[in-house]
Amino acid sequence: MEQKTDMRILQVQGLEVSYGHIQALKGLDLEIMKGEIVVLVGANGAGKTTLMETILGVNKVGKGDILYKGKSILGKPADKNVRDGMFLVPEGRGVFAWMTVKDNLLLGAHHNIRQADEKMKAVFESFPVLSERRDQVAKTLSGGERQMLAIARALMSSPELIMIDEPSIGLAPIIVNDIFEIIVNLNRQGYSILLSEQNVYKALKCAHRGYVLETGNLVLSGTAEELLNNPGIREAYLGA
Amino acid sequence: MEVFIAQFINGLSLGSIYVLLVTGFNLLLLVAMIIHFSFPVTVVFSMYISWAVLNVTGNNLILGSLAGILSAIILNIATAPMFQHIMKKRGHVDINATMVISMGIGMIITDVLSHGFNHGFPIAFPDNLTGSSKGAMLNVGLISISRGQVITLVVGVVVVAGLFYLLYRTRAGRAFRAIAEDPNGARLVGLPILKTGIQSYALTGILGGMTAVLLSILLGSASPGLGDQMAHKVLAVSIIAGLGNLQGGLVIGLLLGVLEAMVQGYLSGSWSNAIAFVVMLIVILVKPKGVFGMKLG
Repeated sequence: MEQKTDMRILQVQGLEVSYGHIQALKGLDLEIMKGEIVVLVGANGAGKTTLMETILGVNKVGKGDILYKGKSILGKPADKNVRDGMFLVPEGRGVFAWMTVKDNLLLGAHHNIRQADEKMKAVFESFPVLSERRDQVAKTLSGGERQMLAIARALMSSPELIMIDEPSIGLAPIIVNDIFEIIVNLNRQGYSILLSEQNVYKALKCAHRGYVLETGNLVLSGTAEELLNNPGIREAYLGA
Repeated sequence: MEVFIAQFINGLSLGSIYVLLVTGFNLLLLVAMIIHFSFPVTVVFSMYISWAVLNVTGNNLILGSLAGILSAIILNIATAPMFQHIMKKRGHVDINATMVISMGIGMIITDVLSHGFNHGFPIAFPDNLTGSSKGAMLNVGLISISRGQVITLVVGVVVVAGLFYLLYRTRAGRAFRAIAEDPNGARLVGLPILKTGIQSYALTGILGGMTAVLLSILLGSASPGLGDQMAHKVLAVSIIAGLGNLQGGLVIGLLLGVLEAMVQGYLSGSWSNAIAFVVMLIVILVKPKGVFGMKLG
């Protein structure tokens, strides 16, 4: 948890994004070091999903800059960013319900198809449940299994930065623990992770640092420990 | 019994044409997200191009067929920007707008065919393409099966099998299916949406071109009105099968071909369209969402 290199994998500078007349992000600054888990804290509508999708290259940037591995990626489409090692595990998992587990995984390896077999073997070793269900359509999986599939699909792309949007939403508490364990394990294997969560306590417990968003503004940032002990956070998000 | 067997084979040949057309239509619907009602009209356009090239080259079959296929690919990709202009603006399927564009394309093509080729008279394909001068290829009792029917059936089966292989066993096919199921989700996992859309136009172009060649062999002739007739049937088949349902289109397309052939075999041939539509009317009343269910995200 403590080991931190000085290399920044992602820098967001003064980022502004609007949907029509509504400004969703109002000048955000954020950075992620290689090997870090950074958590985004905030209520619904705070801009967490917008931020992640904008980093991925889906939304148009009004102002500001996004640097990935030291280079600006403004205007770069999502498929190019995925090719360069970025992957988003979307809110609600985003698995393709009518496609098999195997096809879903192979979609993750779309830009990396030569290594697909090897990657899939590794993924099946880490997630035996998915191996058992490889020929079933994703529709037949439970919520937790779908979340695993969505994370496993990210791994198929050989990512360096994984963004995970609300992984615990709609899952039973025991399964939430499993998912957080998976995320921590991924981080130990060296993946940099940007995590958005409403389960603030659990997320901060496994993260290095965190940012607090409120209606498109960054209101607070710090190490996970600082945030956990911050009276404002405790009151607003931890019910203490 | 002989009539039955002959008409069954005949029906499968015709049916495989419908399957090709319905699959092309469904691919455009699912991947490019347009209702290309006039897709069969573009196929008839390619038949005319093929015919014109056959005329100029002294019935060179290879050049004629290539011209048909190439013209279909070019026509499909050339019309893509118009559809995609709407797609970009709306960001989701706008059935009304894409249908109007498609109908416009269809009407222009039909007019061009009426005025620009053979003074609007039906065109006839040369015997070395249709094989009719050599008579039937197979004669068993009363059953006679023409070379055209056999070629259409065999090539149709191979093309449909190849297409389903591409869709369900290859990287490009996986991307097609993912975009068909959830375009937004497909973008988030890094699939190139525009590029894959263009690929689907190209693929349906290839499909349309091959269908044009097969139709020329099977029918031996074409008229400007053929495209509209086909378009109505293809739309009906795809709705009855369930819009966007590829496997359903396969089954219903073959069934329609066999049904028409049976009507032609046992009743008067001129009633086959009317009877086919009566049957389809009944099916759609019983199953308004299609026999196999819609597959639209």
